[in-house]
Amino acid sequence: MSGVPAFAAAAAAPLLAVWLLPLIGAVALWALGPALKRTAGVLGSLTVLAAFGIAAALFPAATQNGGVHVPLVTWIPGYAFGLWLDPLSLIWTLIITGVGGLIHVYSIGYMWNDRAIARFFAYLNFFVFSMLTLVLSDNVVGLLVGWGLVGLASYFLIGFWFQRPSAVAAARKAFVINVFGDIGIMFAVFAIYQQTGSIAFADVFAKAPSLAPGIVFAICLGLFIGAAAKSAQVPLHTWLPDAMEGPTPVSALIHAATMVTAGVYLVARFAPLWNASPSAQTLVAVVGAITALTGALLGIAQWDIKRILAYSTMSQIGYMILGVGVGAYQAGVLHFFTHAFFKAQLFLGAGLIIHALHDEQDVRKMGGLSRRLPFAFWAMLLGTLAIMGFPGFSGYFSKDAVIEGALLHGHPVLAAVAALTAGITAYYMFRMIFLTFFGPYRGDVDEFSLGMPLRVHAAAHEPDQEHGGHAPDWIMQLPVAILMVPTVLAGWLSFGTESPWSRFFGGLFGAGEPAAPFPEWITTSGVLLLVALGLVVAYLRYGSPGAQAAAIDRLRAESRGMPQILVRGFYFDDLIEFAAVKPAAWLGEIFSRYVDPHVIDGAVRDVVWLAGALGYVMRALQNGLVRAYALTIVVGTACFLAYFAFIGAVK
Amino acid sequence: MSVDVSNYVVLAAVMFFIGVAGVLLRRNPLIVLMSIELMFNAANLALVAFSRVWVNNAGHIFVFLVVTVAAAEAAIGLAIVVALFRRAKNVDVDEVAELRG
Repeated sequence: MSGVPAFAAAAAAPLLAVWLLPLIGAVALWALGPALKRTAGVLGSLTVLAAFGIAAALFPAATQNGGVHVPLVTWIPGYAFGLWLDPLSLIWTLIITGVGGLIHVYSIGYMWNDRAIARFFAYLNFFVFSMLTLVLSDNVVGLLVGWGLVGLASYFLIGFWFQRPSAVAAARKAFVINVFGDIGIMFAVFAIYQQTGSIAFADVFAKAPSLAPGIVFAICLGLFIGAAAKSAQVPLHTWLPDAMEGPTPVSALIHAATMVTAGVYLVARFAPLWNASPSAQTLVAVVGAITALTGALLGIAQWDIKRILAYSTMSQIGYMILGVGVGAYQAGVLHFFTHAFFKAQLFLGAGLIIHALHDEQDVRKMGGLSRRLPFAFWAMLLGTLAIMGFPGFSGYFSKDAVIEGALLHGHPVLAAVAALTAGITAYYMFRMIFLTFFGPYRGDVDEFSLGMPLRVHAAAHEPDQEHGGHAPDWIMQLPVAILMVPTVLAGWLSFGTESPWSRFFGGLFGAGEPAAPFPEWITTSGVLLLVALGLVVAYLRYGSPGAQAAAIDRLRAESRGMPQILVRGFYFDDLIEFAAVKPAAWLGEIFSRYVDPHVIDGAVRDVVWLAGALGYVMRALQNGLVRAYALTIVVGTACFLAYFAFIGAVK
Repeated sequence: MSVDVSNYVVLAAVMFFIGVAGVLLRRNPLIVLMSIELMFNAANLALVAFSRVWVNNAGHIFVFLVVTVAAAEAAIGLAIVVALFRRAKNVDVDEVAELRG
């Protein structure tokens, strides 16, 4: 890790612009919102795309001499806040603003008839600003602030349709679990400051090798609790499928491409700490592999197209966490990079389908859509090929890199789990493709109106939507079309030994990868075999002409016979309910039933009673009789005199 | 001929306790006021007696002060009694107990 470079004045203003443009957009949209109507979408998209352009122009500066460092404020010595753009944060910045900008454009079409479109874009811009705060901060406190803000933005956007109780519940669940993670990071920040006396990354990393192993493990544990909550790692993943209650572009931007990968950023950013604690690395890698497998297994059992994609996201983030956990940071970050493209494309493609089918998300009520929605079909097919690791597509390179990385760093079991997960991924993703696009159409939407949403049915479906025609098709198709290019090609960046990808990072993560003791094709072919197996099983069960002919009966039987353990998501929700929600509810019950009425209210009531009782006694003295008062004075004086007479007599 | 000072002091004490008994036992406000005057004068008598014993004129000066204040007090007290009588048509201090808690 090279130290933080000197202040580069030439790059300071552009970097500030990248950081603040989305904030300006958000504030402007909040202030002017209702007056702008659909212009809000254009304005919101332009700020993010402009930020992307400036960030791209900073590419050379960021990759040389340790990047661009802009000190901003020194609060007290040791508490200096600033921005730091190095290769790692540059990757995230480009994805956040680039993929984010495309999703903004797509949202113009998706939210065309929503009355609250300005509020939506204000939230989206606010999210982009928060995420940039997270990745551009040069210190742990700024990172934690960004970390909290993205959680807040996520809460706003999941609960965007706050008329739906389920959306509000999902937003609350996501927020609570994320705050649980924030607390982990907070304690890690405390420990870091207490141990190193500084919050700047550069100082922390410089001192990382000299810290006691136990301390480093504790800090890593705190950081990873935050990473696991934000990145939907087992057992803190249950909020992610529920978060699909938000609008689909939100699912694409926050719950697939950017925010949920913040945990990967966190582990990669703190690589020097993790390198100093092998046990923490193992913990992260094991959790990542378990998450990858769990997500894939649960993806099999879903019928909601967005929940299938949500579980696949969870599974893919498991890969990334596995990659950065074993120490193969470049592989993990590469999988983040490719996943951002193909998963955004899958979600946006799913959004096209949902939009065309008037908010139908159940794959059992789809089928045969390849003829009616050819563009969505190609978008989903390319995305699926990329995610399952079809040779030549982007996911093929990144997923193989992760599995190989696990092998090279001495985790053969985890590598085997990841390879198995790749096969399951091929199965459930093609299950979705076959159910959605092939066979007979099983839904109840008039086939002639397919692809022409909202013009006919809008008023009936969304009470809060205006009846204002629909957006031109290209607004939603263009971003998906642009995403297709990196979805297919991005993986080639890492091809070969001296690839652009590894040169890009340089010495950021310390020494390069260890040399492979075996030829690469062995692992690759093994993974491909499993992937092909998954594909064939999916074809036999859902794609073959025989399966399609009996599709409706088959799906009915499968829906009934789905194993409960998968339907209930391995009982994680019940576990959390039992381990956290119930005890909290009991505690609340105890407090509301006993502590509050008897201890807190009781203390107040007792004081009141005491004052009353005292007043009752004292009131008897205030009898209003002048003679009684006079008697009191006389008796008092007599007592005085008697006392002093007694004292005098004694002396 | 000189009289022993203890006679004056005993007389002052007797007068004072007659005044105290009058304040505590009588209900007629006029009698109560007169009893208070009796206590003032008991105190005056004691002051003059001790002043003579110590050959010090401070006691006489105190007495003049007390007489002045007693006159003012009697004026205020009689004004209150008249106001009470106009309002309540009675002359019993025990009936005037509006300040009871």
